[in-house]
Amino acid sequence: MSKENSYDMFVEMDKMDGEMDVKIKKKKKMKKKEKLESMKREMDIDDHELSIEDLEMKYSTSITKGLSSTLAQQILERDGPNELKPPKGTPEYVKFARQLAGGLQCLMWVAATICFIAFGILCAKGELSSYDDLYLAITLIAVVVVTGCFGYYQEFKSTNIIASFKNLVPQQALVIRDGQKNQINANMLVVGDLVEIKGGDRVPADIRIITAQGCKVDNSSLTGESEPQTRSPECTHENPLETRNIAFFSTTCLEGVATGVIINTGDRTIIGRIASLASGVGNEKTPIAIEIEHFVDIIAGLAIFFGFSFFVVAMFIGYAFLEAMIFFMAIVVAYVPEGLLATVTVCLSLTAKRLASKNCVVKNLEAVETLGSTSVICSDKTGTLTQNRMTVAHLWFDNMIHAADTTEDQSGQSFDQSSETWRALARVASLCNRAIFKPNQESVPIPKRMVVGDASETALLKFTELTIGNIMDYRARFKKVCEVPFNSTNKFQLSIHELEDPLDLRYLLVMKGAPERILERCSTILIKGQELPLDEQWREAFQTAYMDLGGLGERVLGFCHIYLNDKEFPRGFNFDADEMNFPTSGLCFAGLISMIDPPRATVPDAVMKCRTAGIRVVMVTGDHPITAKAIAANVGIISEGSETVEDIANRLRIPVEQVRKSDARACVINGGQLKDMSSDELDDALRTHPEMVFARTSPQQKLIIVESCQRLGSIVAVTGDGVNDSPALKKADIGVAMGIAGSDAAKNAADMILLDDNFASIVTGVEQGRLIFDNLKKSIAYTLTKNIPELTPYLIYITVSVPLPLGCITILFIELATDIFPSVSLAYEKAESDIMHLKPRNPRRDRLVNEALAVYSYFQIGAIQSFAGFTDYFTAMAQEGWFPLLCVGLRSQWENVELQDLQDSYGQEWTFNQRLYQEYTCYTVFFVSIEVCQISDVLIRKTRRLSLFQQGFFRNRVLLSAIVFQLCLGNLLCYCPGMPNIFNFMPIRVQWWFVPLPYGILIFVYDEIRKLGVRRHPGSWWDQELYY
Amino acid sequence: MATLKEKRTCGQRCEDFGRFVWNSENGTFMGRTPLRWVYISLYYVAFYVVMTGLFSLAIYVLMYTIDPYVPMYQDRLKSPGVMVWPDTYSDEQVQITYNMSNKQSWGKMSQCLTTFLKPYNDTTQKQINPCNCTTGKYFIQNTYNAPNHTKYACPFLQSMLGNCSGISDPSFGYSGSQPCVIIKMNRIINFLPNNGTGLAPYVNCTVLEGQENVRSMEYYPTNGTFDLSYYPYYGRKAQPTYYNPLVAVKIDLVNQRTAKMHCRVMANNIAYESIHEPYTGRVVFYIQALS
Repeated sequence: MSKENSYDMFVEMDKMDGEMDVKIKKKKKMKKKEKLESMKREMDIDDHELSIEDLEMKYSTSITKGLSSTLAQQILERDGPNELKPPKGTPEYVKFARQLAGGLQCLMWVAATICFIAFGILCAKGELSSYDDLYLAITLIAVVVVTGCFGYYQEFKSTNIIASFKNLVPQQALVIRDGQKNQINANMLVVGDLVEIKGGDRVPADIRIITAQGCKVDNSSLTGESEPQTRSPECTHENPLETRNIAFFSTTCLEGVATGVIINTGDRTIIGRIASLASGVGNEKTPIAIEIEHFVDIIAGLAIFFGFSFFVVAMFIGYAFLEAMIFFMAIVVAYVPEGLLATVTVCLSLTAKRLASKNCVVKNLEAVETLGSTSVICSDKTGTLTQNRMTVAHLWFDNMIHAADTTEDQSGQSFDQSSETWRALARVASLCNRAIFKPNQESVPIPKRMVVGDASETALLKFTELTIGNIMDYRARFKKVCEVPFNSTNKFQLSIHELEDPLDLRYLLVMKGAPERILERCSTILIKGQELPLDEQWREAFQTAYMDLGGLGERVLGFCHIYLNDKEFPRGFNFDADEMNFPTSGLCFAGLISMIDPPRATVPDAVMKCRTAGIRVVMVTGDHPITAKAIAANVGIISEGSETVEDIANRLRIPVEQVRKSDARACVINGGQLKDMSSDELDDALRTHPEMVFARTSPQQKLIIVESCQRLGSIVAVTGDGVNDSPALKKADIGVAMGIAGSDAAKNAADMILLDDNFASIVTGVEQGRLIFDNLKKSIAYTLTKNIPELTPYLIYITVSVPLPLGCITILFIELATDIFPSVSLAYEKAESDIMHLKPRNPRRDRLVNEALAVYSYFQIGAIQSFAGFTDYFTAMAQEGWFPLLCVGLRSQWENVELQDLQDSYGQEWTFNQRLYQEYTCYTVFFVSIEVCQISDVLIRKTRRLSLFQQGFFRNRVLLSAIVFQLCLGNLLCYCPGMPNIFNFMPIRVQWWFVPLPYGILIFVYDEIRKLGVRRHPGSWWDQELYY
Repeated sequence: MATLKEKRTCGQRCEDFGRFVWNSENGTFMGRTPLRWVYISLYYVAFYVVMTGLFSLAIYVLMYTIDPYVPMYQDRLKSPGVMVWPDTYSDEQVQITYNMSNKQSWGKMSQCLTTFLKPYNDTTQKQINPCNCTTGKYFIQNTYNAPNHTKYACPFLQSMLGNCSGISDPSFGYSGSQPCVIIKMNRIINFLPNNGTGLAPYVNCTVLEGQENVRSMEYYPTNGTFDLSYYPYYGRKAQPTYYNPLVAVKIDLVNQRTAKMHCRVMANNIAYESIHEPYTGRVVFYIQALS
């Protein structure tokens, strides 16, 4: 889908919600033609206002016989199957190419190109003495490609995990064609088809309702709000989204039956449009990618600076221009940390693996860090924070509010069930209920069983099943003789039952409904099993309880019953549900039961942890403000004692306008208000109120909220499960979708998927993200340090003309063999402090690689390492007969292939090959020095602030084994036969291993002093200059 | 994040960079106030002074422990190198090619040998090495008996090279088809070439290619030996006037007058087989006389 098109979509969707955003208006002006197009497209949905006859005309169908099979076939060929086209998947080769085109990768491509150029120049000059440049170029490319393959494989694996979660069972639909009912796959449906839906079905396409009986749908996949909505043939609203006679694709029919004509299929459905809106939102760069680019900038800058200064020096010394140019290139290339790319990739995938074991699957490797940088989480409510399951939360009987157990696994406290009133209330609740369990679920825990019925009846059924047990049996014992279903005029539901006791011939009438309506019909109230007259005092008590429960955002139902006199209503009395030939007033009030979609058990704790970690949790939901606020308060998004502007106004009894906005910590904004706000006002609101709840928001508004947070400089995570969340998920810096409850659209748009739907996993993600950021910093510092001791030999070689102390192949061995494991092992380092008590990093200030890190690594630790290397180099040279002063200026003779009797300091004569082996000895000695210093380096990099003695030497076992590995590999390279002529390693004398040791100890001591200063004097000059 | 990702124009970037170079608000120059630049510079000066000091100390200790007479290790000098003169190279191989009829061409060769033999001038040698050596025995000196706390070195006289000494024939045979080449074995401290029988090492040349072009070879001194009295070498400090003994080979070229020669110093403890060290214990060269 082109970008233009997606904007167009944006405009269109916006218009549907009747929104006018200034920015979008501008876009519209620019694209008048498209606007017309989109207007036309919107005009398509006028089907709710058409009469049945017009509808039949329009779709050449019949509301009795449906389409003819042949026509349906033609339309199917025209429109394509009725399914959401998965967003055009990135071709595999593009995914692979992306792995080869990151910041570090580009650096290495450039370096490889420079190597080729240098090689070409040398070739052309006919001065080819070694193939080092060619080897280096090939190695660089190989590293990029191999790491690319590795990264690609990682992403491929996680894509597979996600794909395995897709719902593969094809949906069925009951369609009427040629006057015959057929069960066909839903994707074969076409516009104009006549379909039947019943309770429990998923609506197979956008449908104009023709007939309906008690049909209710759950639009939560569209709006995120699971309130059942009635569907009927009448057009009730000009807005197609509001009217009752259209049922939307992928919503669920909760109860009742309906038939309708399909008006839109596939991507042309409302859901399809929202889903495609998501694919139009551009993907943001991950924070870690930005950090790596910043780091590459630093590296490239330093490389060019160094290269250029030594170019000038070389010219000054008297090298030819071309030679100086070769030096320049060699220095620039030497600055490229070859091993870093592999280190970063491996560190990230280690974290990804760790997250996957905690049920967070990350689609894009770089996204593992993003949660660590996150400063705002915009969370959807239904299904993410809550269980998406209506559950009985409170009961009011005996003039007391009792709290029910709302936990998912029934681990909570239950209330006192000894009262007579409770027994009566429970009896009403279980009998006056039409919901039933689907069969064959005996092994499933009660809260997870599937139920046919609407949300509140389901809640009551499960509640009574849990408290009384085996409701199906219970109901069978009280034989039902008559029933009046709920309707919107009565607002109650009643049923009449025979009693359990066969000797008691009375009938029992049970009723439930809207509390105020129920109370109207009652004359007595049951208190502690006693029927007391319902006087003013009780009415008031009722009112208070009702208000209290309503204020909790809960849906409250009232329950009452009456025993019918067996004289008036003897056995076999013909109860008439339509006539209602039985008393419906003067009943006995039993109690109130209130229900809510309760928060997941782990959520309040997770929200709390996020808050201590300095992350703001914002609720963005399609639900009602009151419910949203109640849940927000419940899970801690609105903390205890925080008030909204309205709360303050209420408390102080002053008008809302007089309240200072800055006094209110919390704020609840609903979609309507949001519509009228400019983006500045929204930014302002987000700035003033730390605790925000957005209710009744549309998918576009979610997008706007995310954008607003990003404008304020936050890194935003969005969690959600529905199609309506997908645009925001895509727009967010990291989108987190639910694996079980999540729709495919949401999963496609997200970067991370919680396989267990557990919001608390986000906290793990944050923790791991922060840890990997810290540890990457350490890894990078470790990797960068050795760049200097690798570079200085070459610089000294150029300027002082000593025999080359360190060769190119040896450098590659340090970068890509011995030092990889230690640098990766830093990823296993434990956090230095409680990272979950720190604020999220400031993306402008707290960079992955800052100046202090680069300077400290390069010019202090790196410098010490260079000195160590040169000490060892001169030792090896002097002990073999070449004194330091002789070495200076020796280069041209030393490297002269035709000179077979060069005299050393003792007058002994050396052939060229003997000198060459001596040079390899120097390489090896320098290599060993770097290794020894790097062991010290990896130890000091374990901590940035704490003393190593506080962190513990031995706690990171991986690091210890990495050091052992490093030493073993070093020894293998040195002492394996054949190495001198293959990789230029010589079996060096054992004592040369110990020459750099004092420098290693110096590094350790110096860094301990640095850390001591940093700890003792925070904020001091020392801290500012030396803390990285 | 949005602000971080904004595409900035070049002007803005320049402005940002300008602000980085000189920020008048904080009075910072390149991110630091001048005072802090002074501090950090002083810190780095101190750091590098200390480090250089430590490094110098290390080198001082190193040199202190080193014996000026004998190297601590001779790991790379297990076996001496051998080289041939005139040392004219072509394609990384010794190629002695000259034109008999072109004086400039062969003159170059004879000139090379003349220069090479200059320090071996009989009078010079007798003057700087006034020492009577017993031939056929190692000249072992455990004490520094020579003047200035040195050891004696046996003189090697140009005249010992007989027909190849350049005394009788300053062209060294290059004016004809019987050129001389001089073989020198590199010196190694305390190295005692050993033939097992107490005999001196000697040069043995074979023709690898073009056997029919070489009529005969003559060695000077006789048998091409390096006399044992020149060994061991005690180093530059102990034997400042030491000169390597030489062996000259006169090659009589006939027919195409071109050959590939292989000259080896024969001794039990001189290796000559390593393919990685082409000049150890042997030397391979091409010789060609054009007309």
